[in-house]
Amino acid sequence: MNNLRRRTGSILVSFVVTSTSIFAQGVDSTATDSLLIRDLERELANTVISPAPTSGARPPRNLMNPEISVIGDFRAGYSSTGPRNVDAEMHEVETALRSAVDPYARADVFVAIHGEDGEFEFELEEAYLTSLSLPFQLQLKAGKFRSGFGKINRLHPHVLPYVDLPFAYRNFFGSDGLNDQGLSLSWLVPNPWFFQDLTIEVTRGPGENESFMGHESNRLLYVSRLKNFWELNPNATVELGLSGAVGPNEFGRTTLLGGLDVTYIWKPLQFNVYRSLTLQAEGVFSRQDSPTRVVRTWGGYALAQYRFARRWLTTMRVDVSDTPADPDWNERGFSVTAGWLLTEFQKIEIGLQTREANEMDSSVQAVVRAVFAIGSHGAHEY
Amino acid sequence: MMNKTTIRTRVLQAVVAVVAVVAAAPGFVQAQGRLRVVTTLPDLRSIAEMIGGDRVDAFAIATGFQNPHFVDPKPSYIRRLASADMFITVGLDLESGWVQPLINSARNRRILVGGEGYVDASVGVPLLQQPASASREQGDIHIYGNPHYWLDPVRGKVIALNIYESLIRLRPSDKDYFAGNLQQFNDSIDESLASWMTLIAPYAGAKIVAYHNEWPYFEERFGMNIVDFLEPKPGIPPSPSQLAKVIHLMQSEGIRIIITSPYFKKDAAELVARKADAVVVTLATSVGATDGIDTYLDLFRYNVSALVAAFEQTGYKRQTSP
Repeated sequence: MNNLRRRTGSILVSFVVTSTSIFAQGVDSTATDSLLIRDLERELANTVISPAPTSGARPPRNLMNPEISVIGDFRAGYSSTGPRNVDAEMHEVETALRSAVDPYARADVFVAIHGEDGEFEFELEEAYLTSLSLPFQLQLKAGKFRSGFGKINRLHPHVLPYVDLPFAYRNFFGSDGLNDQGLSLSWLVPNPWFFQDLTIEVTRGPGENESFMGHESNRLLYVSRLKNFWELNPNATVELGLSGAVGPNEFGRTTLLGGLDVTYIWKPLQFNVYRSLTLQAEGVFSRQDSPTRVVRTWGGYALAQYRFARRWLTTMRVDVSDTPADPDWNERGFSVTAGWLLTEFQKIEIGLQTREANEMDSSVQAVVRAVFAIGSHGAHEY
Repeated sequence: MMNKTTIRTRVLQAVVAVVAVVAAAPGFVQAQGRLRVVTTLPDLRSIAEMIGGDRVDAFAIATGFQNPHFVDPKPSYIRRLASADMFITVGLDLESGWVQPLINSARNRRILVGGEGYVDASVGVPLLQQPASASREQGDIHIYGNPHYWLDPVRGKVIALNIYESLIRLRPSDKDYFAGNLQQFNDSIDESLASWMTLIAPYAGAKIVAYHNEWPYFEERFGMNIVDFLEPKPGIPPSPSQLAKVIHLMQSEGIRIIITSPYFKKDAAELVARKADAVVVTLATSVGATDGIDTYLDLFRYNVSALVAAFEQTGYKRQTSP
């Protein structure tokens, strides 16, 4: 009430003042000025401070955009076999989009364009939702993802310290590794002594794969991995992984896979960017049932990786592998890779590899690859 | 006699009960005892211990002699984070390469960004070197500003305030206790700072050279003047041309001190020191960098006395003000 009276009063006053100022106009400029100042002062006194229009000052809408990064993997090389011995290709351009979806989940999407024989094809490499808040230390992943079988299947090729996948992975899962669609549940085992994580995945079965194949019936692919991790001391760690997979194969029968991986890393805390040593060995054991017979095969690799300077990394790897369908076709190989890590965002690797199959069909390959990353800072691997 | 179905039900109940107890055990324990605090750097651990006193159990992921940009996200840290009540990070983009994978795997909502136990220690800290534009052409620049703010004890008081506010959010019943500790922390910073300033005052404005751009807050507080770096750009290892440039600069300006950090190789700094007749001083970037640096206050005590000793050794003459 009081307020209303005051407001009516001020309107009246300003009306009177304004009319006087109209009359006074053109008569005396100093009078006009002083009236103007009085008007202005009254206006200022009466103005309710409201937030300034923010159209220009608003943070850009793209603040909500996911973190985006693009990774390029260019390769040029020589191969002693095949009709074309020298080649160059933009092997992969991967775009990663990652963000929290809401307070309960995050999403990671990786789309890739692959180059092969001069053609480019689009691939949805991974796209999955990860829960952040399930009870009992569980974490659920849903979508298309690289399977957790073994130590390196989850890793994208450009982070591996060598140019090609180990023979065992390529032979048992294909050149892109085991990558399927479904669910993955991981449980952080409440083990008071050391880190232990149990992952169980149920997926539809991949489209094209040497060990497994999606089936028309309700048969699904089940994969599990138990990861155990110990810190021996602040500078050294050991990881031991046990993996298993069971699912339908191309014959509609069952393939059983078992995996064992051991990784030892020595990385002195104080100078971890200058020196480190990784020793890793992995074996994959397969039992494939076909209409005519049961085939038992295996493959594995062992590697040593040594970082001897801030920018230099070398890796040596020995490969032995059967092919899942044929225990008599056995490949062996040896490779050396030297990596020059210019910064965290660029590396150049030179790899030399020999391959011999059944002690006859032998080949030599040399590859140079350049990997670059632009955009948001990715996570480091361990 | 129980029939088969009853036995099956009983067994199932027993299994569910065991699983529930095992899975809930960590949560049960922490509700009774001290708050479990995990920090990225030992400096944050030290401050959390001073404010939290005997109500907290604090663990730091990084050690004091480690490069905070390149800490390895070992799975063993995930165990700590899974049962943590509070997670304290320097924030900005200092730990961007390793904190995300750890807290995303921790399955602990309390410590996710926005969770009740998530503490970004940089909130409210006045930042230096906020870039107007950002491109990796400039090296490993930090898009929000230089993140090494804990190297200024006065900004340390803001860190302490952030930690205090989170502690009273989680344990409102202990508010007075935490408030008393905060007051004590602030007082000891003020007192110590006065004595450190007295020690270093004669060298105010002294020109020095640093290995990496991680000292702007320390430099500003203690009146140093860092004129160049051994790294040509942040995060890019020293190049011969940069070292030559620095040597010329040191010779012409009479600069005789190079400061570096425990986690950088010393060869480049020592080479420059030989050419420019200077000394290399390894300052502590974090609590625990060397023996005897056990608390956040020790950090500055050590750095100030190391610098003063270097000034005395090189016979630095106080510049008379005009």
